[in-house]
Amino acid sequence: MTRFTRLAAAAALGALMGTTAMAQELFTPNLAYRTGPFAATGIPLMNGQADYMTMLNNRDGGIGGVKVNFEECETGYSTEKGVECYEKTKGKAIVTQPWSTGITLQVLPKSNVDEIPILAPGYGFSPMADGTVFQWAFNTPSSYWDGASMILQYLEQNGGLDGKKIAFLHLDHPYGKEPIPYLEQQAEEKGFEMVPIPVGLKEMQNQSAQWLQIRRERPDYVVMWGWGAMNAGAITEAVKTKFPMENMIGVWWAGHDADLKIVGEEGAGYKSISWSFPNPDAPVLADIQKHVVDEGLTQSNAEEMKGVFYNRGLVISMILAEGIRTAQEHFEEPEVSAEQLRWGLENLNITEARLDELGMTGMVPPFATSCADHTGHSGGWMTEWDGEKFVKVSDHLMPDSESIRPLEEAKAAEYAEANAPWPVNEECSATN
Amino acid sequence: MAILNEIFITPFVDMAEAPDFLMQVLWEGLVSGVLYALIALGFVLIYRSSRIFNFAQGIMVVFAALTLVGLHAMGVPAWISVALTLAVMFVLAVSIERVVLRPLVGQPDIILFMATIGITLFLIGLGEIIFGGENKVMITEELGIPTGDTVLEPFGGLLILQHLDITVVVVATVLVVGLLAFLNYTRMGRAIRALGDDHQAALSVGISLQTIWVLVWFIAGIIALVTGIAWGARAGVSFALEVIAYKALPVLMLGGLESITGAIVGGLMIGMLEKLFEIYWGQPLLGGNTETWFAFVLALVVLLFRPQGLFGERIIERV
Repeated sequence: MTRFTRLAAAAALGALMGTTAMAQELFTPNLAYRTGPFAATGIPLMNGQADYMTMLNNRDGGIGGVKVNFEECETGYSTEKGVECYEKTKGKAIVTQPWSTGITLQVLPKSNVDEIPILAPGYGFSPMADGTVFQWAFNTPSSYWDGASMILQYLEQNGGLDGKKIAFLHLDHPYGKEPIPYLEQQAEEKGFEMVPIPVGLKEMQNQSAQWLQIRRERPDYVVMWGWGAMNAGAITEAVKTKFPMENMIGVWWAGHDADLKIVGEEGAGYKSISWSFPNPDAPVLADIQKHVVDEGLTQSNAEEMKGVFYNRGLVISMILAEGIRTAQEHFEEPEVSAEQLRWGLENLNITEARLDELGMTGMVPPFATSCADHTGHSGGWMTEWDGEKFVKVSDHLMPDSESIRPLEEAKAAEYAEANAPWPVNEECSATN
Repeated sequence: MAILNEIFITPFVDMAEAPDFLMQVLWEGLVSGVLYALIALGFVLIYRSSRIFNFAQGIMVVFAALTLVGLHAMGVPAWISVALTLAVMFVLAVSIERVVLRPLVGQPDIILFMATIGITLFLIGLGEIIFGGENKVMITEELGIPTGDTVLEPFGGLLILQHLDITVVVVATVLVVGLLAFLNYTRMGRAIRALGDDHQAALSVGISLQTIWVLVWFIAGIIALVTGIAWGARAGVSFALEVIAYKALPVLMLGGLESITGAIVGGLMIGMLEKLFEIYWGQPLLGGNTETWFAFVLALVVLLFRPQGLFGERIIERV
């Protein structure tokens, strides 16, 4: 055998072994942000996500016997870096997790071409719920319009909305602006006044102007769509200007324990709508302790692991893992493709019984998806800061689908028209 | 006509009708302005002595605040943590001078500027490795900084003065006055000014470039620590503090990069004017969030008429 032939044979064998090795994993990249101005809120979420997948790998040997490669690509919450990360990871990926509404909006048009599911649990573009138009995008289990609907519902039940004034304090970013169409529609319908108050990225920690406006407007309620340092900045200013905390409600990304710890007891009464909640007695946490923490494989700590965001990270990875498992069972293939995972995510059925099996009872409400409904509309709970931690202060709230669905369809159609030619899932339209 | 009324009449009527609210707006603007001036001073000092635009000033704020909070979390008493943080900032100043600046003496300004970007990236990485990216609570009470408020009722209205804000204004003022005294009345201070005026002449009379650079970077570190405590006490200590420093850029454009007076006057002007504009014109007419751009537009208008800034030195280059 010549030297060249030996090299060629070695290369071929290496390629074969490499292919075999690569085949034995499910590549589910996460476009994470552990650095930059939003790191404080990103880190516990990313830790929760990573720990859940590490636990599955160590306890069960992965999902369906195939290890999960949960690689992170750091974006710093920058849309440009997020798109770079997407392009870098899309080759082998069976899913992409963009972790920002801005990145989601950039990646959305590419999803039809690349045919990779976008998993954006509880964030992204609300009309992504319409699976007939957004075939590859999933904002399971709750959209921003769901969140706005539940907040309004809670306010309606606790003081009413007619004739009231709501200051909508939001990050001046696609994420912060996302619920405005729904709030405007509801303001007209329910007879309240909505005053949008934007907060720029550079003003997150110095919101005195925004809170002076709130003082001048004298709103009955402040609804906050904050993220990162904006949350702590807003809550500090609310305390400082003596705004009644019980009349301030944030979306689920504005319900982070660490943000509230800065004001401690002075923040008592502040509320946040949430589709996830920590359950310290959940068996999944014991498994994470045994298979991840005790093995020295976590980046988290005991304090963080009690918090809302870490536990939400666990739920988010559970949704992805269940999508993979559903696809594996349906297609009878352990190593699912991106297209098969799309089917899995479209056929999630997370019942109470399934949550019990997963050891995650009470951590997320039951929900189910379909090819037409990519959100699942799980509903959630109103939570309140008691000075030390968040506690549930409502029963299970459900979004008002009668008002949301027509708006979702209208905005989805508008998006498809603006981005024509945009493929629509005709098969799903006909059967749903 | 309605729009002219909204621009030229309504805001002033609002101010006259609610003078207590106007006082609150001006107070909030003053607090922001003092802090902008303080950050701008850090830039000016380094620029005057070395012609370097210090891009790392923002991350120095984060690094100083994180070091302080991190040391205290390790069980070090609050004021000893402050002293140790100052020691860390001194070591940082010496390291920057030895490792980064000294090898680049004589290089074009842009190279030195790029070097400060490198320092920024290094400090971001180092800070994240040592302290992590989580939001941390500033040790306000442990440092004895008052946290209550005083409520006044001028003109039968309401004016809330936070004790933290009053402390910030007082401490920043003392620091600025102290710095001015140091620069004007001490040998080292005059040496810094001499370097700013003429590098070659200053070196020829025996002023040590290395010593001065260490000194100005250390002073910038002290300013960073004070700024970090002030902003960190408001909304926690995280890497988001870095963006606060960029608010000093229009202050420098307005006041002039070499002028200490410019930094102070520019900071106060921008702090108060951007707040007034946002409340009385920005929010009613433009939907708010004008603070993001107002200061830059104001600085650009000034540059149209005075390219060197309000207090900057006019540079005349002979061909």
